[in-house]
Amino acid sequence: MSTYKIPVGPLHVALEEPMFFKVEVEGETVVGLDITAGHAHRGIEYLVAKRNIHQNIVLTERICSLCSNSHPFSYCMALERIAGIVVPERVEYLRVVADEIKRIASHLFNVAITAHLVGFDSLFMHVMEIREIMQDTKESIFGNRMDLGANCIGGVRYDLDAEGRGYLLAQLDKLKAPLAEVRALYETNGSFLRRTKGVGVLPRAEAIRLGLVGPVARASGVDYDVRRKAPYVVYDKLSFDVQTLPDGDVWSRTMIRLREAIESIRIIEQCMRDMPEGPTTIDKTPEIPAGESIAKSEAPRGELIYYLRTDGSDKPERLKWRVPSYNNWKGLQVMLTGAKVADIALVVGSIDPCISCTER
Amino acid sequence: MWFLPVLIRNLLKGPSTEAFPFGEAMTPKKMRARIAFDPESCALCRVCARICPAGAIQFEKRPDGLEFNLWHNSCVFCGLCTLYCESEGLHATGDWHLSHPQSEKYDLVEKATVKFQKCSKCGKQKMPAPLPLMAKLYPGLSADEIERLRAMCPQCRKAETAPQDGGTQ
Repeated sequence: MSTYKIPVGPLHVALEEPMFFKVEVEGETVVGLDITAGHAHRGIEYLVAKRNIHQNIVLTERICSLCSNSHPFSYCMALERIAGIVVPERVEYLRVVADEIKRIASHLFNVAITAHLVGFDSLFMHVMEIREIMQDTKESIFGNRMDLGANCIGGVRYDLDAEGRGYLLAQLDKLKAPLAEVRALYETNGSFLRRTKGVGVLPRAEAIRLGLVGPVARASGVDYDVRRKAPYVVYDKLSFDVQTLPDGDVWSRTMIRLREAIESIRIIEQCMRDMPEGPTTIDKTPEIPAGESIAKSEAPRGELIYYLRTDGSDKPERLKWRVPSYNNWKGLQVMLTGAKVADIALVVGSIDPCISCTER
Repeated sequence: MWFLPVLIRNLLKGPSTEAFPFGEAMTPKKMRARIAFDPESCALCRVCARICPAGAIQFEKRPDGLEFNLWHNSCVFCGLCTLYCESEGLHATGDWHLSHPQSEKYDLVEKATVKFQKCSKCGKQKMPAPLPLMAKLYPGLSADEIERLRAMCPQCRKAETAPQDGGTQ
């Protein structure tokens, strides 16, 4: 059988983000893959060196929409490490709450997109409607549906009083039943299982070899979660299970995200229970000396690393971040080899690629 | 598990989208939308222009003061200016209705001139000292006393509030 090369992308492969694949096919089966990136490069790493430390909280928040809280969160942690700022305990809890709310919304979005990519659009709409509960929550607590603006240097910009806590818990209660129903649907619905079981398989050994992170690695049985392996803020005080599945196919990745969304609800509820009273920011203007630091956090897509170097001025000398999608798209080489042409978009969507983060 | 029951339930529930523009859309109390400026509460410290990541805020020199300009079309609604404005001159409103015809794009500006003042004691030109800021700086002083200090320049104010006999005030 002769082989062909077909172009996939750069527009709208799985999401409305540009990525170009040159796929080598034999009949209907993919035998080779060439990934070309760089379509969404905006020069943000250069821009951050031209903006002051406060402006960069806003700029890093706008690198990407779905993990928009993880970026300023990690950036603030890196800054605080250089300045030796110890944030109040209440701030740590509030930061966890903001991050987990974003995680639920981000995971539900990808789970919905997966339904859309298998052609199950009524399920897609249903999950997006459930996700809207979280969007309303974000808008009511933080003031924006996507860019929370939760972090500032040495603290958070929002607070949860008794009314806010009650509202958040009520919203989470509202989410629980539909989420459990959706999980059962994804677990047992024949139409969905036939399109996703055994598709785009990534074996555990390959996930480790390529250094994959986040839900993609956990769906291949790699028990790696920054929140557990290198706890930051108060994650060491919270009880949650790191979700893993052995198969490494599209279905496993979807299920991991649904389970993690359910775990996130548990985490937020614990935060609401254990959060101490206290200030929400440090009470002095932060002074950032020259220095360098690294901060890691578990973004919805996996391990996010921030490297920051300052020179004592109010602008960072260098800020560099490695996002989870950078590792994960290497996994596509393995996942797509042997897949059918019709499954390309589905498999690409299943790693939850974030092109804007990766190419910035 | 069959999806059909969910589908029928959703069908009976009716649309879950908002009827905007024919009906009201949800606007939470804490919504960060159009920024409003109150010239009475501006101390002309210009920290907002320095902090604005979008460069939406500019101050321009006028003969009698400084003109504050906030371009709503450049604003990214991050709310940093409202966070760092110590004199509470900037507030995020819940008004997100910012659509406008192309021809009006240069008119969507929050504009006001903050006038310089004359010191009530020495008569020199001075920056305004807005009430919210002064109330923070001099907690415990009566409203009349704050009004009196507000009308002075920083040097006269310092002289006025310095301890008279070397003791603490």
